[in-house]
This record gives sequence, structure tokens and C-alpha cells, in this order.
Amino acid sequence: MATSDETDERVGETYRRRARMRVRRTTRQIRRAARPAWDRVRFARQDLTAAVPTLPRVAYLFIAPFFVLFGLFLAFPVAYTLYLSFFEYQGVGEGSLFWIDLGPVYIEIPQIAQLSFVGAGNYLRLLGNDLFWQSMFNTSYILAIQVPLMIGLALALALALNASFMRFKGVFRTAIALPVSANLVAYSTVFLLLFNEQLGFLNYVLSGVGLGPVPWLTSEFWARNTIIAAVTWRWTGYNMIILLAGLQTIPQQLYEAAEIDGANRWEKFRYVTLPQLKPVLLFVVVLSTIGTFKLFAEPYVITGGGPTNATITIVQYIYRQAFVNFNLGYASALTVVFVAVVSVFSILQIKLGGED
Amino acid sequence: MREQQRKDAVWRFLTYAFVITMVVVMMVPLYWMLVAATLPQEQFLQFPPRLIPGTAFLDNFAALQERLDFLRTIRNSVLIAVVYTLLSLVLCSMAGFAFAKYEFKYKEPIFYAILATLVLPIQLLVIPLFLLMAQLEWTNTFRAIILPWAANPIGIFLMRQNMKSIPDALLESARMDGATEFQIFYRIALPTMRSSLAALAIILFLFQWDLFLYPLVILESADMYTIPIGLAQLTGFQRIYYDQIMVAATLAIVPMVVLFLVLQKQFVSGILAGSLKE
Repeated sequence: MATSDETDERVGETYRRRARMRVRRTTRQIRRAARPAWDRVRFARQDLTAAVPTLPRVAYLFIAPFFVLFGLFLAFPVAYTLYLSFFEYQGVGEGSLFWIDLGPVYIEIPQIAQLSFVGAGNYLRLLGNDLFWQSMFNTSYILAIQVPLMIGLALALALALNASFMRFKGVFRTAIALPVSANLVAYSTVFLLLFNEQLGFLNYVLSGVGLGPVPWLTSEFWARNTIIAAVTWRWTGYNMIILLAGLQTIPQQLYEAAEIDGANRWEKFRYVTLPQLKPVLLFVVVLSTIGTFKLFAEPYVITGGGPTNATITIVQYIYRQAFVNFNLGYASALTVVFVAVVSVFSILQIKLGGED
Repeated sequence: MREQQRKDAVWRFLTYAFVITMVVVMMVPLYWMLVAATLPQEQFLQFPPRLIPGTAFLDNFAALQERLDFLRTIRNSVLIAVVYTLLSLVLCSMAGFAFAKYEFKYKEPIFYAILATLVLPIQLLVIPLFLLMAQLEWTNTFRAIILPWAANPIGIFLMRQNMKSIPDALLESARMDGATEFQIFYRIALPTMRSSLAALAIILFLFQWDLFLYPLVILESADMYTIPIGLAQLTGFQRIYYDQIMVAATLAIVPMVVLFLVLQKQFVSGILAGSLKE
């Protein structure tokens, strides 16, 4: 038995010595291999400094202010949202989140919140939450009607204003694009009054022709349509401007050629305008979809998310959870899911639109 | 042939009818706002509603001013948006210049990392920024509103794209004449960028002007409110005074509409530039 132990030890000793030698050899090899690369970097740096003495340093000076703010207020928060989504928020932070002690240099990032780890708990919780699904449904409903309606109107307006017989193009374009300059909350308050059931202008007109009054803000169905109408009012002109610029880049010769082939108005639209405009159209659709996903100010002001949560949007739900109930961890998980949904949606649209 | 002409005439009529209807639809809410802002409360509550503007704008404004110092709110909004726009223009044009005209390590990866953040909705940042500002004890300050969005990815992207078109020879000749790099940027690169800077300024200004969720979380006291927050507070009171709210909305919207009419070309190029992000 003893001999066997000794043998084992001896074998072990040999093995360890061999392992050590192998490590040394590898280190040497790595150093040797890395030398040319390192020299290249060193010489390149000398070359550069020789040619234009200050260039790289100046470049860093030029980008530094941007990056300080970018890192602190954009990159860090994005990462922190993801981190926070696995925790439960318990109060204002104490102590440090992260520290490096390098002797003379000591870097410390304070803990910005008191947290307790819950793993995937927040994500499981949102999957089982009715209000989350309700807000997803509301947003999808508004999206499914509002985006096609608005893009359709914007495209029709752009085509009309691009028509050769159209007079006063500038005046019409300005008038239709005017809502672009209206502050989001300010125009929402105007719509709050416009759609008011007793005082509103809209119900006055509708009653006049025997159609009203419509319960714009108190019926679930109409409240959603009110939001849709408001958003469409604000953004149609914006999209029209982009589409109009797209239309103006289509070469006139294409239309002339189509005319020679005997194409009628519809065929010219279908086989010249639409394919030529497709990239711009796709862009406008993706942008509008993202915009409507992010809806917050309008439902916050016009309906307050009601009646009975019929118009609460995802961002509004996140806002309530984060800043009314102070469930910041849970709200972060909601945000992560929200961003994922928006991204997947945009990518899908680009993929589907890019085909055929 | 005559058949064709008649069809064309009908088509033209329908097109005009559609465009004019849309113009009316766009104008009605703004006109209604003006009417409501200029009628005394009791006339406004009458049925049928009056459709001709009254003369009570200043009275309504005085009543509004008593409940919320709206002039201060406007001043806050203008101050924040202007400082933000200037700061962001400086940061974005400097960084954009470096990305367009200098070579440095990891230039491409860094640039694409910035571009990637373009797709992130700003709502993503509100929660961590709120915690960060609380930690820095910056809540209820203007710097908490201005600084986070100053490093604007759209800005750096636009500036880089446009600065690329500046000929290298121009910069090189200035260098030969002994100009410092900063002088080259300030005296030569920036002046050629005037129209792009104007378009970017409008994008940045409108972005900050419309910002709602984030200031709602950060600003706490009435003397710090921006226009969106002030207006939202007015609609949240127990009794809603529509005449006063419409005065506030008019004050928020009309100056921007005027600005839009005056600077229409820049607005349009701003919209198009903002929409050109790949």
C-alpha cells in the first residue's frame, strides 16, 4: 500500500513539474507571438505622433465631453435597468455597488438603491398580471387602428399635394403640418375639451346633425378611439412631410414611360409610386409603430388610462408601477419586456417589408 | 376624350375636397382652443357653444396666473430647451467632428455602439435616472433635466454624416497655416455646417420641449415646472377650469406655431434629417 502511495506521489510530482513547464513554455510563446503586434501598435503610435503631433489626443478631447455624459446618463442606466429587473426595490441606497482598491486609486460607485434579489420573480409576476395584459391589449388595439389610418391619410395627402394640378401646395402643406409644432401635453388638453361630452365642440356638431352626443371619454370603445383621433391629428402632417419628400425623389421619366404604356392612374400608383416609395413607407411605418408603442402623454391627460383601464398603455402602466407604487424592480422588468417587444416588432416589420 | 376630361375634373374636385377637409380638421382644434381661451367662463359654459372668439383672454390669463405662475413655467421651459439645445449642439458637433475627421482606436465600434442606442426608447432610462438623480440629490433641478439627454445619439450621427463632406484639403491647409485643431473645428468646420446645425437645433429643441414623463418624475415643486408638467397639473385639479387651461395651451402652442411658420424650411429639414437615421 505504502509503495503505491509513494508511486502516486512521485507521479503527481512529475505531473506537476510538467504542467509548470508547459505553462512557462506557453507564456513564452504567447509573449513571442504578441511582440510583433505590440511593436506594430508602438511604432504606429510613433508614426502618427510624428506626422500630426496632436491628432489622437485631440480626437479624445473632442469626444470626451460627449462620452462622459453618454456613459453616465445613457449607457449606465440602460445596463442598470436590466440589473434592476432582477431585484425588488426596498428604498434609497446605502453603501457601494462596486469598488476597486488599487492602492493610491480607489474607485467607488455607490449603491443607488437598496435591493433584494428575486431572480426571475418580476418577470413571472408580470406574466400573471391582468393589468399588464390589459395594457398590452390596449396598446396593440390603438396601434392596429391608428398606424394604418394615419399612414393611409398621410400617403393620400402626400399624393394629393404632389399632384401636378394642385394649387396652393405650400399653404396646404403648412396647414396640415402645423400640429407638428404643438406641444404634446398642450394639444392633449385641447382634445380633452374638444371631446368633452357636455361642452365639447364635437358633440355640439354631432348633436346638431342628430348623431350625438357620443360618450367620447366614458365608454371604453369611444375612449380608445378618442386617443386614436388625437394621435392621428398630431402626427399625420409629420408623416406627410417625410412621404412627400420621398415622392419628390421618384424620377418623372418613370411616370412618362408608364403613360406611354397606357397605364391609368391606379396602375401608375400601383406599379411606379408604391415600389419606388417602399423604403420611405417602410421607414414611416416602423417609426410610427415605435411612436405609438411609446404612447404616454395623451392617455395620461385625456383619459387618465380609463374608463376602467380601457386606455392604459404599457408606458403608463410602467409609470404607475414605478412612480405611484414605487415597485421599481418590477417596473424595470416591465421596461425590459416593453423594449424587447418593440424591438421584435420593428425587426419583424423590416424583415417582412424588405421581402418580395 | 370628353369623357376622360370629365373624369379628370371629378378626380381633381375630389382631391381638393379631401385636402381641404383635412386642412379644416387640422385647424378646428386650434381654433376651438383660441375661442375657449378668449371667452369668459360663464359664456363658455353656455349651450350652444359660442364659435366666435371673445375678449376675455387677459382676464382668463390673470385667473390662471393666480393658480399657477404660468409665465414662470414658460420661462422654465424656454430656459431648459435653449440651454439643452446649445449644450447638445456643442457636444454633438465636437464629437461628430472627431468621428468624421480623426482616426483613433476603436472608432468604428464606439460609433456603432452609440448608434445602437438610437433604437432604445427613452422611457427605458427614466427609472435608473430617477434613482441616480435621487442619489446625486439632483431631483427638482434643471440640470437633472438638461444633462442626461445632452449626449444625443441622433445629434452625433447627423453631425458625423454632414462633417464627412468637409474636404480634408481644407482642414489640412489650415493646419499648414498653423491653426490649432480647435480653431480648425471652430473657424472652418462649424461655419460650413450652418444649415445642418439649424436642423439639428430644431430636432433637439422640440425633443426637450415635448419631454413629459421624465420631468414629471424629476420636477417636484410648482416653481420648477415646465409647460407640459404645469398643464398636466392644471387638468389634475378637482375642478377643471377649461378657460384657464386653454389660455395655458394657447401660450404653449401659439409661439411654436409662429416659429414653425417663420422657420418652416428649417423645421422640414429638421424632420427629414431626424428621419434619416438609417
